Amino acid sequence: MPVPPSIDEAELDAILKRAGLSLTPEQVKGILPGAAIFQRLIALVNAPLPREAEPALTFDVEQK
Amino acid sequence: MSILTIAEAAKLIAAKKLSPVELAKTHLNRIGRLDPQLNAFLMVTAERALADAKSAEARQMSGSLHGKLDGIPIAHKDIYNTAGIRTTAHSKLLKDNVPTRDARTVAKWTEAGTVMLGKLSTHEFAFGGPSFDLPWPPARNPWNREHFTAGSSSGTGAAVAAGLIMGGTGSDTGGSIRGPAALCGIAGIKPTYGLCSRIGILPLAYSLDHAGPMAWTAEDCALLLQGMAGHDAEDPASADRPVPDFTAELGKGAKGLRIGVVRHFFETDNRASDATRAGIDGALDFFRKEGAEVRDITLSPMVEYFAVGWLIMITEAFALHRPWLRERFNDYSEMLRDRVALAAMLTGPDIVQATRRRRVLCREMAEAMADLDVIVMASAPAEAPRIDNVPKWSGIEKPSFTMPCNVTGFPAISICTGFGEGGLPVSIQLAGKPFTEPTLFRAAHAYETAMPWRAKRPAMAS
Repeated sequence: MPVPPSIDEAELDAILKRAGLSLTPEQVKGILPGAAIFQRLIALVNAPLPREAEPALTFDVEQK
Repeated sequence: MSILTIAEAAKLIAAKKLSPVELAKTHLNRIGRLDPQLNAFLMVTAERALADAKSAEARQMSGSLHGKLDGIPIAHKDIYNTAGIRTTAHSKLLKDNVPTRDARTVAKWTEAGTVMLGKLSTHEFAFGGPSFDLPWPPARNPWNREHFTAGSSSGTGAAVAAGLIMGGTGSDTGGSIRGPAALCGIAGIKPTYGLCSRIGILPLAYSLDHAGPMAWTAEDCALLLQGMAGHDAEDPASADRPVPDFTAELGKGAKGLRIGVVRHFFETDNRASDATRAGIDGALDFFRKEGAEVRDITLSPMVEYFAVGWLIMITEAFALHRPWLRERFNDYSEMLRDRVALAAMLTGPDIVQATRRRRVLCREMAEAMADLDVIVMASAPAEAPRIDNVPKWSGIEKPSFTMPCNVTGFPAISICTGFGEGGLPVSIQLAGKPFTEPTLFRAAHAYETAMPWRAKRPAMAS
């Protein structure tokens, strides 16, 4: 897996607040280890895909 | 009365050698004796069970049985709506919820004559667990009550293994049928996406949710699936196609089956225990000796299937639960709320990428299976861990063996392959092409009937 980007409590708290979740500092701290693991999964899903993976082949910013 | 399979009981009921009322009473007595140690039931519906059983017995006596499920004691995972009977999702948020309509699959089993014994424990809203901060305790594994059942169909797994019910409903979004089937040593099938209606079942993630049965044997799962499957115009994912006879290939053996083994899933991607790998190798030896063609195949790393499945699952779950997460966050279990909250980290492009990658993985699995009947994987990495040693994030630290078939929608069954060092069950997962459940049942039944594992029940149930 790629090396995970870092995330700290303040950043995670801001992300959760933007989604409408106002949690206590303890609750944010409890989610933080999961957030670090989850970032690895997000990075995996965002690994480059070949053009043929575009279901409709409607648009590709790399298109030559 | 010894613990019968559904197939055995159906024959005796048809021959008027077994009373559905006596069968129901035997199971209710067993529930009364054993369930206080297992917490498999959230509610026992004894009056309803006896009424169902009396109706079945009347049909038995008049020669008008509805089929092989008539008079069979079952129970439903508590995310399946039951008219007039509380359906809680094992959650404080729905602790007083009483639906007015049965789920479509519940109604189908009732029409088939099943005897409903009650509602079964689940992980909250079919996600996250085991949780000790809910209104009801988590189910315990009957092979060792200090150990986990897996989930989310935890009560169904425990109740079937302990002989409290002959079969029950489960749901599977990322492995919630096959996981508890594996750790409780029973059979559980996640059918092809669209084969069973989800109408009236509390959703977790609509594009990954599957309804399916769990029972002691693959044959019993085939009988139960026969009573569950079928097109439902209300469910947009429902497949409008004839329901096959799921028992049609039972008894045909394994000769001629073409089996692919995704060995890297359980040897390198998430290395399974020695006992789990020995069980799989033993099963492959059996299939070879029976005349099956067995060869290894390679798919993308299992973590790629898992990442796609997890992103989609928690996004869909978050969208569903967002109003309550915002207003009643603390009414959820910590396990559920903390996991689903991770969806807040996702962006629109992340979800689009997950959807694109899902198509790639679906195509990959379909191509890999083009000249195969069955592919083999592990169902679970090892025997059940202790229930007090399941860390909150263990479910995402390593990729699960069950998620690939949720991502693709392909059918997959978990069956028992013996026991590990701790005396708890180990298992194998057999997957097939869409709508080839009869072939999966054929392979699973051939293996189960040739092995001794189905003759052994948990000590507490013997």
